[in-house]
Amino acid sequence: MSEPVIRTEKLTRAYSMGASVITALREADLTVHPGEFIALMGASGSGKSTLLNLLGLLDRATSGEYLLEGTPVSSLRRDELADLRGRRIGFIFQNFNLLPRLAAWENVALPLAYRKGEFGVQDQLSRARETLSRVQLEHRAEHNPMELSGGERQRVAIARALITQPAVILADEPTGNLDSKTGIEIMHLLKELNEEGRTIIIVTHDLNVARNASRIYHMLDGVLNESEWAHVAN
Amino acid sequence: MSLIDLLRTALRSVSTNKLRAILTMLGVVIGVASVIAMLALGNGARAAVEATFQSLGANQIQIGQRFAMEDGELQPTGKTLTFADGLEMLSTVPLVERVEMSVSKTVKARFGKNTVEINTIGTTADAIDGIVSSGDVQPVGWNGDASFSAQDLLGDGRFFSSDEVYAGAPVCVLGYQTALDLFSGDNPIGETIWVDRTRCEVIGVITELESTDVQNRYRSDPNEGLLMPISTVIQTLYDDEPSVYMVVHVKNANRIDEAKEQITSYLRQRHQIEQNADGNYQDDFDMTTRNDILGQQQEAARTFSLLLAAMATVSLVVGGIGIMNVMMVSVTERTREIGVRLAVGAKQRDIVSQFLLESIFISASGGLAGIVLGILAIPLAAALNQGVALLYPGSVPLAFGVAVLIGIVFGLYPALRAARLDPIEALRYE
Repeated sequence: MSEPVIRTEKLTRAYSMGASVITALREADLTVHPGEFIALMGASGSGKSTLLNLLGLLDRATSGEYLLEGTPVSSLRRDELADLRGRRIGFIFQNFNLLPRLAAWENVALPLAYRKGEFGVQDQLSRARETLSRVQLEHRAEHNPMELSGGERQRVAIARALITQPAVILADEPTGNLDSKTGIEIMHLLKELNEEGRTIIIVTHDLNVARNASRIYHMLDGVLNESEWAHVAN
Repeated sequence: MSLIDLLRTALRSVSTNKLRAILTMLGVVIGVASVIAMLALGNGARAAVEATFQSLGANQIQIGQRFAMEDGELQPTGKTLTFADGLEMLSTVPLVERVEMSVSKTVKARFGKNTVEINTIGTTADAIDGIVSSGDVQPVGWNGDASFSAQDLLGDGRFFSSDEVYAGAPVCVLGYQTALDLFSGDNPIGETIWVDRTRCEVIGVITELESTDVQNRYRSDPNEGLLMPISTVIQTLYDDEPSVYMVVHVKNANRIDEAKEQITSYLRQRHQIEQNADGNYQDDFDMTTRNDILGQQQEAARTFSLLLAAMATVSLVVGGIGIMNVMMVSVTERTREIGVRLAVGAKQRDIVSQFLLESIFISASGGLAGIVLGILAIPLAAALNQGVALLYPGSVPLAFGVAVLIGIVFGLYPALRAARLDPIEALRYE
């Protein structure tokens, strides 16, 4: 079997709140292989966001190890993490998180802009257009996010996550701010991308969303457990 | 992020808040304008002094009778500074090499039926050399770089001699225009004209002159007037002994202060000026050297420059704090944006550059506006200062540099704060 995209061993994240210590994530073991579609479920406060932040290199573990494509990340400096994040991880957020002053294509090209000297403006534009056409939004390239519908915004955000050909796409409640019809369309798109070989981890508490995943994990009080449930659902 | 991307980002961010950016710039605008005006004043004073250097040599002292305000009018004080004072000074004050003296009076000059009212200048015999060396005028069409001699000025006539000055000889030298007015083109040399009620023989005509300073040409016509030996003017055109204007040439320019002391004690003795109860002397003459003019000009410019420097400093600091304040607000407003940028791979230095460039953009724009305003304000500064102000070319890059520096210094803290944001917190910020 090929090398896992993500492998965590006893990954733990604890916060100290005054005298007490709160363990948001407790010794999580997770292995994700290329092309997998993982759903992460759990109540709010269960620790799924903490895990997602760690996987997305936005946060550092208190203990345990995390290997992204075989690279241990705990010893990396902040800027090295930023670089790795920009190249190998694509984020999709519940509230889209597009920059309002930038045109759709500029939002999509943003990760390329932070790779110093690798992409000129023309290069950024053509790649952004290519990626936008993958999400059927090429005709909206020059529009600002304000001029787009919710579904369109999320597709722009998906294009932004796709443009770097990342090792893994982390989606945090991607349909949470959309009506159900649009949500289904977005899930369709994500499923298509997965079928094209993209590795996707999605955080949700919507069972209908999780149903699309190949494996489902459950979080409860900071403890991660793989659910047999997915197989049943499928 | 590449510089072009960064510049675009900064430009876009500033242009979405145009009014805020413009208000923020004001402090820098005023500060930079003050810097420009301040340096223009200093430069103007220097230029004025340099202009004076040309007419007053380093070894020369101007002496004139002192004037004081009396009943709302400037009145001469004490004793008249006489021709004899000057002659005696030459023979008794050791450091004095030469004394040029002059008086001037408006007279009626007549030849035949032609009469003109003109200025007569009574001078010593070296006045013609003074005209040559002053550098103020040149023969019309003269190549400015070449030097010319006294003879070049006189054509076929001559200037009066020292003997004629001592003797009070009734001779005169005419300005070019005056000769034309009186003689209608005939040769005046050897003819006798009436100057008020005195007859005098024309011995020379000065060739047509123009001011070397093009801007000065409209102010006075150097071709109107007539020159006579100073003694002749004093004896025949005045009822009472007039006060003369002296330019004393000192033997050694390095000892000019010593010469001033010698002349001062000489004149005090001659005019019987005693120490008063306070130990001061009520001198009735004024002496001016190049250094005195330099000092006065600099003094005036310095006071005003100091004021402008204070204004510039205050405006720039206030402007800088304003920029800092606006940048802090901007960072807070854009916390989520910073989070997104960090999430897609922005490094800390990318965020620092972005916000620093934005504050530099604001301060540099303010700087450019300030430079324009400052240049426009130069005439105003000159008028308030009752002096000259001249744009100092180096002040433009200097002022711009100061503006950019303000942007860096006051933009750094907000930019660092932005870069140190925790990406998770930033993304969660509402």
